Amino acid sequence: MRLRTLLLSIALATMAPALPALAHHGWTWAVDEVSELTGTVKAVYVGNPHATLDLDVDGVVWHVELAPPGPTMATGFTEQTVKPGDQVTAIGNRSKDPNETRMKAVRISAGGKNYDIYPARVPQD
Amino acid sequence: MEEALGAIEKLGVVQALKTSFIAYPVVNALHILAIGALVTTVILMDLKLLGLFDEMPEPHFVRLLRRIALGAFVVASATGLALFSVRASEYAAMPLFWAKMGLIGLAALNFIAFITIRNGPRRVFALVSITLWPLALLAGRFLGFVL
Repeated sequence: MRLRTLLLSIALATMAPALPALAHHGWTWAVDEVSELTGTVKAVYVGNPHATLDLDVDGVVWHVELAPPGPTMATGFTEQTVKPGDQVTAIGNRSKDPNETRMKAVRISAGGKNYDIYPARVPQD
Repeated sequence: MEEALGAIEKLGVVQALKTSFIAYPVVNALHILAIGALVTTVILMDLKLLGLFDEMPEPHFVRLLRRIALGAFVVASATGLALFSVRASEYAAMPLFWAKMGLIGLAALNFIAFITIRNGPRRVFALVSITLWPLALLAGRFLGFVL
């Protein structure tokens, strides 16, 4: 009987670490402050599970996360909106980990237009 | 390799899945359903080999659960390939993705060894299985948070 309890505990314990996963979904991994990044586009992806934009900022590549493709394209931002080499500004929340060059964007500015991915989170000035 | 991965991403059906509002979450849900069925039935069979549920005759127990596990593995593989194809080159560049494939490969080899080696160490196969499959699940779950 004790062996059974032990085996069941092991089975459950192996699953448990899945719960507090360091989420890149949502905002928990990003700082509260909103900041700005300007760089040249290295790669753009608008698709599932979420759109991403790689920006070269002074030689450092930043991985900018947008929304899932539906909400992203609803702002008018598609995979054709920017191309590698274009100058783009991303406004959003950087990763809490200062060594991680990753940002959750709330607004992308490109070609003189603003694409508000998360309008409610864009700072009002 | 890179060209092949790029060609997969450009397939019409993959492009449709890439921006689909409905198909991608449905494929994703089927992937989760299949993994749930697979890992659950595998754990139950492993626990059976380790001595639990001894009131149930093993041939019946294993015949039912193995059928579900094999069917679930096929569905999980097919839906997994579809999810992979959307960002094939990115996944292929991630060590975590290959760690997951390695764990699944080892778990599959363990299963093949279990069914081919007669009078083998059944409890060892069960312990390896009950360790590898949940680790593969865990690696897969973390993949969704790092891409």
